[in-house]
Amino acid sequence: MYIIVVGGGKVGYYLTKALLDEGHEVLLVEKNVTICKNTVDEMGSVCFRGDGCEASTLAEVGAGRADMLIAVTGDDEDNLVACQVAKHKFNVPRTISRIRNPKNETIFKKLGIDVTVSSTNIILEHIEEELPTHSVTRLLDIRDKGMEIVEVKILPESTTVGKAVRELSLPEESSLCLLLRKQEKPIIPKADTILQSEDRIIAITPLESEEVLRATLTST
Amino acid sequence: MEFYKILVPVIGTDADEEAMKLACRLAKKNKAKIWAVYVIAVKRALPLDAEIESEIRTAEGILDHIEAVAEEQDCEVDTDLLQAREVAPSIVDEAVEREVDLILMGVTYERRFGQFSLGNVVPYVLKNAPCRVILYHQPTA
Repeated sequence: MYIIVVGGGKVGYYLTKALLDEGHEVLLVEKNVTICKNTVDEMGSVCFRGDGCEASTLAEVGAGRADMLIAVTGDDEDNLVACQVAKHKFNVPRTISRIRNPKNETIFKKLGIDVTVSSTNIILEHIEEELPTHSVTRLLDIRDKGMEIVEVKILPESTTVGKAVRELSLPEESSLCLLLRKQEKPIIPKADTILQSEDRIIAITPLESEEVLRATLTST
Repeated sequence: MEFYKILVPVIGTDADEEAMKLACRLAKKNKAKIWAVYVIAVKRALPLDAEIESEIRTAEGILDHIEAVAEEQDCEVDTDLLQAREVAPSIVDEAVEREVDLILMGVTYERRFGQFSLGNVVPYVLKNAPCRVILYHQPTA
């Protein structure tokens, strides 16, 4: 797979290294001459000095035959432009952009960027997972289908403790996929499965029903 | 100085011919092995293993000629056609892989922006070569 990485900062450097180790053909595009020289000295001819936001640079590095472009500069705007030029001018099948401001996530998606990676959101999700006050953790967004996979923790004070799954009024199109209980093997919830305190439920739900699902499972 | 494995990168200039003759003279004493290599620089827009017919034809012509030059000197030479993104690192890699004692390159006097320039390849090879490097300069007519 031919992958173009735009931005030779720490993220770009380690990403390039990891992708090369996996056996991909990788090219790092970086504006800074010193960074480019250091990369070439260490990894060989895998760095091209140029502006990844410019169509001429992307043409020169062969974006037309790239399978993926990953923009990981420190500027959300640069990442957006690099991905858009790659997507719309060179028909790169998959573009991934790093975003620093989580508010940009929606606009990036609307503008056709396939995947966005927000370090802020990732850290936030980990915090949510660790903190008992957050009962719902988003595990995976299936945005193109309008669905998401979430993990819901049944709190001891929740009214659902002791209830069977059939008694719950789950939102439409939501379903409980897996039940994780301490010191037990994972259970696939059935209609007669009784929920217990501290159970962790993996559920799939439409994006707009997340709140209703949370309320159903964790109401006190 | 004794050499047993000599690498002669060629690009099709007159200097290459003379460099090969010199390599043959150096090789005779110890019956050293000589490799002549031509590196095709493949643009990023193409995959590394792309078959660029015109380039390959040119390269094969140059290597055939250099082989004939070596034959005239009663010397046997192996030729190799490489494809790489950049010429200089691939010459160094080839030297490392073949564990050569000497890289012998023909250079021509070239000016860039009004000043003498060795280009990109020679300085890189001089800096990174794992062995001795001899540059053969062809005197201008």
